[in-house]
Amino acid sequence: MNEESTARKEGSDEKTVLELLQVQEPKVALGTLLTALFGAVIYIVLKWISWPYIMVDLFTLGLLPALAVIALVGAIRGPIAGLLTGYLGELLAGTLLSGTMITMTLPAFAYGFTGLVVGLASYELDNGRSLVKLSIMSIVGMTFTLLLVTVIGLTIEGAATMAVIGFVTLPLLTQGMLTVAFLTPVFGRIWYAFMIKVFPTTL
Amino acid sequence: MSEILKKNKFFLAALTISIILAGMTFGNIPGPATQTGVQTVNGTTFNFADYDSVDHEMLALFNYLDTIVNDEYQGYGEWNGWYAEEQHGLHHYVLAFMAYSVSFLFEITSGYRTSHYRDFLYDLIKKMNTTEAEWGNNSIEYKEWSHPEYNYVNYYWPNQTDTSDLYVGRFRGPANIMWTAHYALMMSLYERSFNTNEMTDEITHYILDWNNSLTTDGFGHPAEGGIWGTGIIPCEPYVVFVQCNSVPMVCTKLYDGLYGTSFLPIWDYGLNFVNNDMVNTEGFFADGYYLYEPTGFYYASERLPQAYPGLALSPWTENPTPKIAGYGNAWALAFLESLQPEQTAETYPRFIEYFMKNLSDDKAFIMDSYNNPDGFATYDILATLFALHIANQQKDYVTRNRLANFFFNSYNKVWSANGREMHFDTLSLDGFLQSIAGFGYLWGNLPVTIKDVTEARAAEFWNYPYISAADDRNIWVYQAQWDSEKDGFILNIQVDQAASLTFSNFASQPTAYSRGSVLAALQQSGSDYTLTLQPGIYQLVIM
Repeated sequence: MNEESTARKEGSDEKTVLELLQVQEPKVALGTLLTALFGAVIYIVLKWISWPYIMVDLFTLGLLPALAVIALVGAIRGPIAGLLTGYLGELLAGTLLSGTMITMTLPAFAYGFTGLVVGLASYELDNGRSLVKLSIMSIVGMTFTLLLVTVIGLTIEGAATMAVIGFVTLPLLTQGMLTVAFLTPVFGRIWYAFMIKVFPTTL
Repeated sequence: MSEILKKNKFFLAALTISIILAGMTFGNIPGPATQTGVQTVNGTTFNFADYDSVDHEMLALFNYLDTIVNDEYQGYGEWNGWYAEEQHGLHHYVLAFMAYSVSFLFEITSGYRTSHYRDFLYDLIKKMNTTEAEWGNNSIEYKEWSHPEYNYVNYYWPNQTDTSDLYVGRFRGPANIMWTAHYALMMSLYERSFNTNEMTDEITHYILDWNNSLTTDGFGHPAEGGIWGTGIIPCEPYVVFVQCNSVPMVCTKLYDGLYGTSFLPIWDYGLNFVNNDMVNTEGFFADGYYLYEPTGFYYASERLPQAYPGLALSPWTENPTPKIAGYGNAWALAFLESLQPEQTAETYPRFIEYFMKNLSDDKAFIMDSYNNPDGFATYDILATLFALHIANQQKDYVTRNRLANFFFNSYNKVWSANGREMHFDTLSLDGFLQSIAGFGYLWGNLPVTIKDVTEARAAEFWNYPYISAADDRNIWVYQAQWDSEKDGFILNIQVDQAASLTFSNFASQPTAYSRGSVLAALQQSGSDYTLTLQPGIYQLVIM
């Protein structure tokens, strides 16, 4: 991390686009890139773990903590870092854990959209209202992801509608939404507590 | 304290909900991997990782299948727990592929040949051969052959009703390869696994019947291409399929290996026919070749006109192109690999390229028709199940795992109260899939495949030491085989309750070693030796 805030202050002065993207200076841009890479590594580790789930009728219920990492990186380091964490994390996880890259890496890009959307706003991770905002923005971001992967599956991959809805859209709805809605603010608050303890001057 | 709670209300609420959600949805985690280790006994090193193994879930799935097959639980013509009441025409396939899948399991633990495994396969074969006379509408004869929808109980070739033509009817007759081939292969695998000779005569009957069908006109005169002129045999009257005929082909190969005969060349004409006359421009097998227009055959008027004889035409294309089925190609590729490995290796990547659809980085499925990519139904699931096996056999584990994630991750794993049985709960989709998912997991994941079991065992195999009796319901056998090079028996076992194992064929007093040290000398009992184990997990070398 660098001297820039790791939890970007809500309600701070109006920012330029570059500041919003956290790339206003080379050093800051490098920090953004490193944060994204760090997030991608955490994403891969969490995706490597087989998380429990249950099927309720045809719906998969469970938590996928890796998805919350994408949103969290967006929250603490802006939209570029969030986008790259989702994109690189999903891309590398696919390559390393499943041995494949699908549909010209477009689904990975769709996952990055969650981080991109969350990163467009600022948050105070020790503030309950701000955590609620983070939760809502994560749901909005995940909605974009869900719509994008569905459209990519139906159009570019050309898979059957029933298969895409049943095995892509619904799991993201029942697992992804729950995860980003509840785990992202939890991770955010824990991140804040960790940073204030270990790197208090960065906050 | 209240200040902390007040400042962190949402965090605490989200944390609480996450914990509750995690608790509520805790299930379906992967089963334990089989432990392996290395030990040196009398200067010889045994690395358990060098030997094939099965895992705990696979054995629990077998135990579940046992509860719906074993005649200890229900009669051969009963279907309790199969959810098969609404089905007909599919039961015999389920029984056959279940038999093949458990044969792979038996091969991995080839030194564990007690009644637990032998009786299961025996009962499965009996279940496959149930007659209308004994079991009525619950019999396989009715469900597979006599059901009113099929309407071909008795018929003559080439004219169905001309009694001066060649009679080819009957459930066990020469034109029902989709039952006779599976039945004969099930019995052949039984003999390959257990060497009892109980079924040899019956297998021989079918081998001779195929020989007659493929090399003569049915009246005793030599005829190239046999009765039907194609070198392959119909299963539905007047139409032949590659996938169905791939089964008797490998059965004949196995029969030759088991009994030292040389019948396999009777399939040369047919193999040449399917490779040259039953493929489309991409080199995929067509789903059927009509020999003749079947009497009373229904053909939708809006479809392209079907030629007789000729390849079955795709219902999905505007131009006349052969009908190509993902399930049929995956099945035929898997079975024919033992007869034409180079061609299979060349076709397989193209099969995946054309038929596989990605859903995510860790999930994919096989379409039944790439000419109908928006269709998604039973046959796509079936095609994925068959493709699991050819992917596994081709050692394409990336694809195998992605197909397996698609197929198995949609169901909850349900364990029995005693922890001995596990099944995938498919009731929300289709209960009939429950037994299929049970053996399908073995079919797609075991390191032994159909290609391996078409090779008969060497004659000396039957002299190797093996476990001939055991307290089967108290143990989990993950590895059990005789290493003929090192003269040691590998046994990787979990014991739930004190259990005795009887070993046959040891020439002298054997000793069980654990972690390189003596665990126990086996107790002599007649010509056999007995080992008693207390609850625990053991990796033993017995020599």
